[in-house]
Amino acid sequence: MKLRVIISLCSCVLVFVFLLGAGKRSSGPDYLEFKIPEGWPKPPTNIFTNNRLTEQGFQLGKKLFYDGRLSKDGNFPCASCHQQFGAFATYDHDFSHGFNNTLTIRNAPALFNLAWMTRYHWDGGINHIEVQPLAPLTAQNEMGEKIDSILRKLKKDPDYPKLFKAAFGTPEINSQRMLKALAQFTGSIVSSNSKYDKVQRGELSFTANEQKGYTLFKAKCAACHKEPLFTDNSFRNNGMAVNTFLNDYGRMRITNNKKDSLKFKVPSLRNIVLTFPYMHDGRFYSLGSAIDHYRTGIVTTQPTLDSLLLNRIAITNYEKNDLIYFLNTLTDTTMTRNPRFAQ
Amino acid sequence: MKNRLLLLPIFLAIAFTNSSYQKKITAKEKTGTLKITFINTVKGNPLQLNEASYTNPFAEQYTVSKFKYYVSNIAVAFPDGILTEKESYHLIDESKPESLSFSFYASVNTYHSLLFMLGVDSIKNVSGAQTGALDPLNDMFWTWNTGYVMAKMEGNSPQSTIVNSKVEFHIGGFSGADNVLKKLKLNFPAGQALEIRESKTSEIVIEADLDKWWQDPNDLKIANNALCTTPGSLAKKIADNYSKMFSIKNITNNQN
Repeated sequence: MKLRVIISLCSCVLVFVFLLGAGKRSSGPDYLEFKIPEGWPKPPTNIFTNNRLTEQGFQLGKKLFYDGRLSKDGNFPCASCHQQFGAFATYDHDFSHGFNNTLTIRNAPALFNLAWMTRYHWDGGINHIEVQPLAPLTAQNEMGEKIDSILRKLKKDPDYPKLFKAAFGTPEINSQRMLKALAQFTGSIVSSNSKYDKVQRGELSFTANEQKGYTLFKAKCAACHKEPLFTDNSFRNNGMAVNTFLNDYGRMRITNNKKDSLKFKVPSLRNIVLTFPYMHDGRFYSLGSAIDHYRTGIVTTQPTLDSLLLNRIAITNYEKNDLIYFLNTLTDTTMTRNPRFAQ
Repeated sequence: MKNRLLLLPIFLAIAFTNSSYQKKITAKEKTGTLKITFINTVKGNPLQLNEASYTNPFAEQYTVSKFKYYVSNIAVAFPDGILTEKESYHLIDESKPESLSFSFYASVNTYHSLLFMLGVDSIKNVSGAQTGALDPLNDMFWTWNTGYVMAKMEGNSPQSTIVNSKVEFHIGGFSGADNVLKKLKLNFPAGQALEIRESKTSEIVIEADLDKWWQDPNDLKIANNALCTTPGSLAKKIADNYSKMFSIKNITNNQN
């Protein structure tokens, strides 16, 4: 009997060692599962269907994201405008700085929960996460570089061919692989651990002010800034006066449709404290002035103004304070300090 | 398994009665090679980039520095159905002679017409990063409003009213009202058929006449429209014109 137990134990150990060895021998990538936070909706499309998420692909994407060589003069990695401590927006900047002393024409959007989006940019001009980087990489007022030049730089590097091999099986470096790796990194950034999330999960509770703010938020803001993503990812005109220097009419440029004049993507309010200044042109530097826009600033004569804003939004001074208390609970330092997303 | 076997005759019956039956090449089947060649011309004379000056139907002079277009979903038709090239995306670029011809295996059969799409089908416009002919490196992809430039012509004209007398047409748009994709069918000249025989190569030569960009159904003078770089109504008008630029020049069967 005893012998049998020993034999079976030994064979178990042998099998285990064999499996371990087999795992090590295969040099294939380590597949990752994209986890949807509890209680969240499924993403409308799976951005990783044709770009299977792997540890090696994610790590390659991260290295690319932080690599200045993706820009013309080496000074503008993706991360120069998408800073982790600013929830991957540009902290404290209305417009971001680009190659050769230039400015962007819109406020850099925060990069998180991108897997739930089907359109990217303030005007929704980009229809797939993989092709989004082509815009900032090549724009003269952003990274200012050419794709073939970037690929030449990556091919000369001693490490990249190895990293592309680890992620994609062969050392070939091409635009498709570079873009897919970037999508694996940016698409993996999820923000789901703010105080608000902890309250939803029953781990913490709101203060009295936060709770009042939350109640108000649900009544007056949540139609567009829909929980749990705090955006419905739609395009709406929220009634801001046109900046006559920029003359930016938003989504109309993409659709050629007058009905889309002055419509911009509804941004998520997650991490809002970190993503100031606000709106597509960063015109409001404080939460208070952004809320005041909805209370008193909306230009109600614009024909495409969103129907929910025709009468502006009635919010008292007390309510405004409570709302700001609540918006402060949307900051997710688990994401902004996560070493996995850091350089 | 048994159920599947029962379904097979039903499937075959449906497949063969449908005129658009899409044939797939099976492993055991005998195949030959089909070579497709594009010759870009202006009114029948081979296009010369930068060198030659041309005159359009409105007596406007112009030169051409770039001439590129996508052809996709290439198929040849036989009486019962069509045979489509796998992953069929090609960028025809006048400046790259190697891009003007391509070949693929086709089933042994007799074919009577050629079908293709001028442009990149909508699915590849919404499916993320692509490679090969569809690589954004080919400078036929819009980065600010996702989508392929389906056809591109650039040059100069004294009648142009834009900077440096440029003529610049980047024609794109794949969905809704802005869709410029053209499904084209070219019947072979009367009495001619494409024969594919085992281990032989047959060739279809297609002529693309750039002169067709200016007229029919839309009169487009360079003086009025020297620039078109966004999807929209002008792009659609140009595409309506250029969709008529193709004709079968000749068919050569069973070369070695």
